[in-house]
Amino acid sequence: MKRISCEHETDVIRALRSGEWTTELRLHVAECLDCSQALHLAEALGEEARRAEIHCNPPDPYWILQRSRRMAREIAMRRMTRLLAVMRALAAVYVVAAAVWLLRGYAALQYREVASAMHGSASMFALMGAMVAAAFVVVGLWPILRQSGERG
Amino acid sequence: MEDASMIAGWITPGREQTAAGEEGFRRLYEATSRPLWGYLQHASGRPDVADDLLQETYCKFLLSKAPAMDEARTRSYLFRIATNLLHNRSRSRDDSAIEEPAECGAESDEDARLDVRAMMRQLKPRERELLWLAYVEGMSHAEIAAATGLGAMSIRILLYRARQKASGFLHPQRIKS
Repeated sequence: MKRISCEHETDVIRALRSGEWTTELRLHVAECLDCSQALHLAEALGEEARRAEIHCNPPDPYWILQRSRRMAREIAMRRMTRLLAVMRALAAVYVVAAAVWLLRGYAALQYREVASAMHGSASMFALMGAMVAAAFVVVGLWPILRQSGERG
Repeated sequence: MEDASMIAGWITPGREQTAAGEEGFRRLYEATSRPLWGYLQHASGRPDVADDLLQETYCKFLLSKAPAMDEARTRSYLFRIATNLLHNRSRSRDDSAIEEPAECGAESDEDARLDVRAMMRQLKPRERELLWLAYVEGMSHAEIAAATGLGAMSIRILLYRARQKASGFLHPQRIKS
């Protein structure tokens, strides 16, 4: 099987970074092409990194914190407005469905049939409608209550 | 707009908003921002991109819901975010002018060949990332795998190839012999 790289390469890099060289490792680097290549490259890149750090002028962390807070608010706002939009759409669908149901169902019935219908299968539909409405209300209130709980 | 102002009031303060959290972040930033900037600058080849991505890296770190980590893991996690941002940027924008290797013959003189920056320009972004993480940051193969999203097994061969290529640009005569 072809050897890909020397198993001591990691030790060489670690020794270069810490400055703790053993005699064996120094002798090994002198003989091993992979390790000497890795060492030379690490030295060259390390020098370049030190040079780059001199020219690096990172912004004050205060601005990073400010920006992250702004981003957090934007993300939360996007999430909440999306939820509200969904709730509004569902509410609109519910209103339209209820209106159609009332117009096509109850409006066609005689006054006497309305009362009798309330005792039969129609009462089940009415109950289901009320339950759906209640579910929508709970879903809509849930994020508001949760946020209030977290703040409280 | 009413919704927006109402929702803004619901948002609970994040962990960085406490005094201790802020102080901890400042310490972390002092310790890691320069090495991270160096990595971003050499992997992207552009200081302006490094400036942008450095800020974005720390913002993403602050916004993440990652559990508390020790210093080494936090450092590794920051490099992972930075690498992902580099990849996202290279996918979404036309940075081909930076990533294209310099023309052959342009680096003919000895000084230019020995210039590490010229060597880095010749390499692919992935190769630059691997070399920097391994030889500047001193990361193990497992740490590099975590930071780059590559398989731990493939790091060894990819790093070997990148090193061969880089050394070829630094010392072409040694590779030929």
